[in-house]
Parts: sequence; C-alpha cells; structure tokens
Amino acid sequence: MANFNTHFTVAAGASAVVSATLLSMEVLSPEQAVIAFGLGTLGGLLPDVDSSHSTSIKVGFNVLSLLITIMLIFVKSSTYSLIEMFITSVIVFVGIRYAFLEFFRKISKHRGMFHTIPVALIWGIVIAILCQWFFDLNSLVSWVYGVMITWGYLVHLTLDEIYSVDLGNRRMKRSSGTALKFGMFKNRQQQIHTAVIYLAIPILFALAPNIDLLQTALFSQDAWLTFTDILIPYDGRWFFH
Amino acid sequence: MRQILTILGVSFLLVGCVQVPMPKPQSQAPLGTEIGIASGHGEVSEYGNPPRNYVTAIKSYFSTKLKRGEEAQYKYSSPKRAFKRKGLAYGGDLSWKGWLVETSVAVPTRTGRYLTPRPYMVLFSGEQIVEDILGNSHKLLTKVDK
Repeated sequence: MANFNTHFTVAAGASAVVSATLLSMEVLSPEQAVIAFGLGTLGGLLPDVDSSHSTSIKVGFNVLSLLITIMLIFVKSSTYSLIEMFITSVIVFVGIRYAFLEFFRKISKHRGMFHTIPVALIWGIVIAILCQWFFDLNSLVSWVYGVMITWGYLVHLTLDEIYSVDLGNRRMKRSSGTALKFGMFKNRQQQIHTAVIYLAIPILFALAPNIDLLQTALFSQDAWLTFTDILIPYDGRWFFH
Repeated sequence: MRQILTILGVSFLLVGCVQVPMPKPQSQAPLGTEIGIASGHGEVSEYGNPPRNYVTAIKSYFSTKLKRGEEAQYKYSSPKRAFKRKGLAYGGDLSWKGWLVETSVAVPTRTGRYLTPRPYMVLFSGEQIVEDILGNSHKLLTKVDK
C-alpha cells in the first residue's frame, strides 16, 4: 500500500497535468486551474480518510472543518458581532475537527466502501453540486472541480492497486483487489451497501448542474481538435513564438 | 451500513435539505420609479424595462472579457425576465431580478479555428450588464419567461 507522501506526490503530479491541459485548452482560467489542481490533489488523499490513524484523515478533517468555519463566517458576518462569530467558529471547528472525527473513526473501516469507484463518482457529483448551489459557480467550472476530485480519487485507488503487486516475488499481495473495485459483494450486508451507493448516484445527479457544457468542453470532437491544436506548436516553430 | 448512511447523510444534508428562499414581493415602490402606475404594468416595473441596446452592450462586454473576443460571433435571444439567488454559502437571498439575454458566443482558438458556440446568460439591470453566466441553466437562477 502506498504511503501518504507517495499518494500526495502522485495525485499532485496527475492533477497538475490535467489542470495545465484544461488551462491550455482554455476550459479554465488561470485562477480556476490552480483551484482544480488543489482539488485533484485533495481528491488523491480522500480515500484514506477511512483509515483511523492515517495522515489523510487529519488533513481531510482539518480542511473540512476550516471550510465549514469559513462558510459560517461568510454567512453570519453581516449579522453576528465579532465575539459571537468567534465563539460560534470555535465551537464549529472543534466540533468537526475533534468530535465528528472521533465519531467517524469509530464507524469507518479502512478499505471498505471508500475504496470503490462509485464512491469516487459520488464525491465528484457532490462537489459539483456544492460548487453551484453553495458557491454560485457556473455548470462547467462546477463539473470540472467535481471531475478533478474524482480524478485524484481514482489515481489514489489505482496506486493502491499497483502497490498490491509484489514485483520482486512476482506475486499478488493479500491487499490485491481491495482498492480499485466496483463495490463489495462478499455478503448480504456488503451487497446492500453497494446497492445503496449505486442508487445514490442518479439521485445526486438530479440535483447536479447541467452536464452538457462539460461534455462539449472535454468529450466532444471539438475538444479533441482543441487538444490536438495545443499538443504541439501549431505553427511548427518550437519555443520561438 | 452505518458508513454508507454517513456518506449519504452528509451529502444530502449539505445539498438536499436546504431551504430555498424565494424572492419577496416588493411592498414598496423603489426609489426613482413613477407613482401610480396602472396595475397591468406592475410586472414590468418589478423587473424594470427590458434592455434596448443589448446587442451592442453584449458585444462590447465580451470583446474585452473573452480571449480573442473581438473576433467572436454572436447569436442572441430576446430579453426574458428572470431572477437569481445568492449561493447558499452567502445566505441564499435574492441577488438579482431583471432581464436576461441568452447569447451564444463562438470564439476562435489560437489557430484561428472557431469553437462550438458556448451559451451564456447575460443578466441586465436596466441597460447595464451585471453578470454573465456560462451555460443555459443555473440552479440558482429562475427564468420567469420561458
């Protein structure tokens, strides 16, 4: 299994490639590309939040508690006094960072449903929904941010799966097949979990922003032509434009 | 099962169970409007008058905003009434009410090839553009005229 540093480095590298490509294709502005890079890297750490003692769970909960505290400040800044805001922020931050984290550690199991492809998709859809409903971003940017989270997440799962091959002894480790999977089907309970996860996808899609722009920007003939336009110098002059 | 319920619970809590504020009817005539307008004109006055010079305004707006915007090709709908709420992180109140012009803009790439036109919704307050939104729809925006 890859460690935190490996996951961080690989997710950052993979996210840098994708966000730089989207910037060059003029799908994202430079500021949006930086955020997309950050989200992709964060996505690469998310699957390990179900591991009780991983660095990912600490990083993940630090980011989550800070984000929610900042959101609270945004919403209440016009009505609350500084002291009220300070007290509420401390309660919310400590509540999420420590109390909710402890609760989450108790209920989660490492390499359970968090290490599955449908959960990676759910994270992406939820981020797209939050970006539009909460932060008023347009459909394309919301979806690109969602896709970046899913991309980072899938990079993590793939890396874990690659690490389950013992190249020296040419054998599969016991962890093989536990990272990149479509669901858990061993017993009745796991099958129900998997079914619930799959059922959640169309429900969340109904709340999600319109996906047409993403399809046109990334998965169309036009997008492919744009990609080939930027791949090598279109005027044939390398480095001297 | 608890794990699944937690994932879904948190997701739905964040996105699903939010109160969606609707625009409040104006109880008072806004400053600067005429007093004693006939009731039949109430709807129009609530949204202001539709922009007349929207074609020029949109062209000039996008020519500086978009890369190679001065070479862009445009198509326009006629103005429609609409309103928009703030993002829920900012309170979700009504942020704009006025006239929206659906526009499609095709810009050339750096090689000169024109891209598939992108749809934009351009929001007006009077003759002034207040915002543009990429796309044909947005969850926080409601078009009154279809």
